[in-house]
Amino acid sequence: MTKNFYLNRRIWKRRLVGLALLVITVISIFPIATTILVSFKQQADITRKPPVIFPCDTPEQKFDIKACRWSVEGYQRVFAPKPDEGSLFGFKFTGNLLRIYIPNTLMYAFSTAFFVTLLASFSGFAFSRYHFRGHNALMAAIYAVTGVPLLTNILALYQMSITLRKNVGFFDDRMFLVFVYLGFFLPISVWIAKGFFDTIPRELEESALLAGCSTLGALFRITMPLALPGLISVFLLTFVNVWNEFIVAYLLVTKNEYKPAMFGLYDFLSQNIINLQVLAAACIIIAAPIVILFLFARKIFFKAMVEGAVKG
Amino acid sequence: MRSAKPRKPISYHLRKSLPFWLILPTLIVIIIVQVYPALYTIWLSMQARHATGWEYVGTQNFERLFGTGLFPESVGHTVIFLTGYALVTLTLGFVIAILLKQKVPFTGVYITLLFIPWIIADIIAGLIFRLMVTPDYGLFSGILQNPALFPPNGLSILTAARPAPWFGSFPFPPSPAMIYLILAASWRALPFITLLILAALQTVSHEVMESARIDGANLVQLTRYITIPLILPTMVVALFNLMLGGINGVGMVFSLTGGGPGTTTYVISYLLYVIGWGQLRFGRAAALALLIAAVNWLLILSVLRITRINDRSR
Repeated sequence: MTKNFYLNRRIWKRRLVGLALLVITVISIFPIATTILVSFKQQADITRKPPVIFPCDTPEQKFDIKACRWSVEGYQRVFAPKPDEGSLFGFKFTGNLLRIYIPNTLMYAFSTAFFVTLLASFSGFAFSRYHFRGHNALMAAIYAVTGVPLLTNILALYQMSITLRKNVGFFDDRMFLVFVYLGFFLPISVWIAKGFFDTIPRELEESALLAGCSTLGALFRITMPLALPGLISVFLLTFVNVWNEFIVAYLLVTKNEYKPAMFGLYDFLSQNIINLQVLAAACIIIAAPIVILFLFARKIFFKAMVEGAVKG
Repeated sequence: MRSAKPRKPISYHLRKSLPFWLILPTLIVIIIVQVYPALYTIWLSMQARHATGWEYVGTQNFERLFGTGLFPESVGHTVIFLTGYALVTLTLGFVIAILLKQKVPFTGVYITLLFIPWIIADIIAGLIFRLMVTPDYGLFSGILQNPALFPPNGLSILTAARPAPWFGSFPFPPSPAMIYLILAASWRALPFITLLILAALQTVSHEVMESARIDGANLVQLTRYITIPLILPTMVVALFNLMLGGINGVGMVFSLTGGGPGTTTYVISYLLYVIGWGQLRFGRAAALALLIAAVNWLLILSVLRITRINDRSR
């Protein structure tokens, strides 16, 4: 009887915990769900007072599943498809978001992530494998740099970009932006990469060296492949960080053709104060790739996150 | 003729200097993007813009900055924001981490779903929260603007003014927009903090818990005397992480409130933007940037100290 009671209590406790988690999850997903709902409404339902959650009411009934007025108006206005004979599907998207902003963001994120991973793997390897004079001081200095807020340097970088734009012929907003991102996301990546290299046993390289492999050969043939999962997580983390970054691009990019998606979204905000469905659709379109990427690669993200968080 | 010392083979040189060459590109990038701008900001903080160029003005920028009413007000907002942000996030993060640790069915699914807000950009998170309370048309505006529920005129979060301050000029109680900003920011930071605390909870040894339970400790005592002391270092690291993110994060203010209504959500980082790019007073903005950087450095140094103590005790 007592045992039974104890078991019962345990089962109930687990059920309660499960219920609590369910409620918390629903609450935390709720803002996203409402945004998806709003993005599928039409203008007439958006500007109604008082607002309705589901655009499904009829004069007779409060909720009628058959009367729902879902529409893709918001997405249509973001994509702005125009008929075009030459295109694949007979029309092409003329909205700035898909034509300019998202390709720009992809370019910034890919190139920054690539260079960050490359440089972080080099210096992470060096810090992990060699002990030279000033090793610890340099490591600490790089860590300290992660503490310099983006916001402090942006003033100087802004002035720098003005000077360079005036005086250097080949200066390009995009190049400068990628370089600035590289500088911002490199320090913490070096620490993360060093952490990953530390977990790879040194003996593997030593035996490769004994077998006649050169140092660089050992780095590229033995260590890099083993560190690849860690480096991928550095890549993904940087990619997402650049994708989500706003203020630096907002202050450094001057031309409309070079704006990334977050900047474009901010422009949308000022143009569509009332057209909530357009804003919501733009949010969904920009956030979706990252969320999907996260859902598929969440283990990799968590790895880099914890590794980076323990250090800072 | 042969030299007294035979030249060492190139590969040997390379091997000795290899770490230097590997680290060099990183150092160059960091010096250009981080070190030089930091020094430039220090220089800029003592300059003022004139028609002919920059002029040295000493500490005038700092004096003018402290002289404006907006600066103490923004500091007050930042203090309120950070306090609320840290309190909400740490408390909820702790509770959710404890729940997740029970390993009930579907925990993996819950973790994945709970983490989606973390991956969403601050500017998008701000927009999402803005959509919900847009005056008149937002989903919650119908409820919040109902005069019966929120007398006398209903509550419009994005436009409601701040109540009269209780303590002199310190902006407390905060405006509804500030409370909403805190909620939105906590929503986005919560997953990260939860994961940190959960990772720390996993290291709390099962044997210790079990033996305490056998000795008759109840759940409150277990939490109070075993769990919390063991994860306290992590909580402190989480706290500093939150502070750093909260001081420097500005995207959400941009998209959620734009500093408004009035100046009631001017946090210090938004003030920097306003002084720098709104008023084009770069010298004064640099002075403010230095102050923000100093706070950051203090926080970072404390994290370094705490993690080092933590490492030693391990």
